[in-house]
Amino acid sequence: MSASNMQHLRQGIVATIPLAVAVLPWGILTGALAIQTGFSFWAAQLMSLLVFAGAAQLSAMTLMAGGAGAPAVMSSVFVISSRHLLYSIVFRQHVLQLPWRWRVALAFVLTDEMFAISEAHTREHNEFSPVFALASGLTFYVVWNFATLLGIVAGDAMSNLEQLGLDFAIVATFVAMTFTDLFKRPVLVAVLVSGALAVVLQHWLAESYIIVAALAGMVSAYCVDVILGSDND
Amino acid sequence: MTSWLLLSLAIITFFNRYAFFSTTVRYTPGPGVRKFLSYSSFAVLTAIWAPLVFNFSPTEGVGTAGLDYLLATLLAAVLTIARVRSILVVLLSTACFFSLRFWFF
Repeated sequence: MSASNMQHLRQGIVATIPLAVAVLPWGILTGALAIQTGFSFWAAQLMSLLVFAGAAQLSAMTLMAGGAGAPAVMSSVFVISSRHLLYSIVFRQHVLQLPWRWRVALAFVLTDEMFAISEAHTREHNEFSPVFALASGLTFYVVWNFATLLGIVAGDAMSNLEQLGLDFAIVATFVAMTFTDLFKRPVLVAVLVSGALAVVLQHWLAESYIIVAALAGMVSAYCVDVILGSDND
Repeated sequence: MTSWLLLSLAIITFFNRYAFFSTTVRYTPGPGVRKFLSYSSFAVLTAIWAPLVFNFSPTEGVGTAGLDYLLATLLAAVLTIARVRSILVVLLSTACFFSLRFWFF
């Protein structure tokens, strides 16, 4: 591996650690909830190993515990994880020339966190690094599965973890990533519209508020960009 | 819990992730779509973090997750706008958050 790839590998891991720590409680909760829902040890761990999508896993288990059938569970998981379609289309231009093994590996570990961190890295360096993205995604994968394992074996002993406030690391990281370009008019509009809508819509659209609010923010930003231009001058 | 359902869920999440990584999809975004997509990270990340700090109910209106969340988020916002390096923004605002949380709230 070249020196620059080694550097990207290290940077990808380091940049992911605050977000990985932030999701520890949710990983533990996912493991604990799986056992409560009646999953075997292996099924609970396999869900995190194969599905690897926090919100979708939690929703699927809540539905199963409530006696919902497979079609309801599957459609809920599809709706919740549909925002990955958006990440997939954004990354398309960067990954299309990569060998299929790289594309499959990157897709497998494509999460909100990996997308956020890789997008910020790409903006900063004007170049997408597959090594950075994979390092970020795999770091998150390992931590998520470790947290699930903790929840499976010691879930009962670790209740109330989600009240510790570790999720603030998500807020801090995402604010630091988005507010850098707030002086650009369309970015300001994207942040205001998607933020306000997400807060309000969460009450009614438990499964799809993120993607609906984000698309509305993107449409607003695009309109402002086309009509008024992208800079405040 | 049947293993086929688990496998179906894995296929669904992988499909959503891999869909546009596939070379069999012939679609190439034009300049307009690329411009539209360039705002995706700002919009999605805000849609994820904003409901962690603010909440809404039709009866009580807009509220916050707590003064600790609100003040530390404000600090992160001010530091970022003041062009402080993002790793420092995360460290300082998180330190502020936990200090407020354990000493005052």
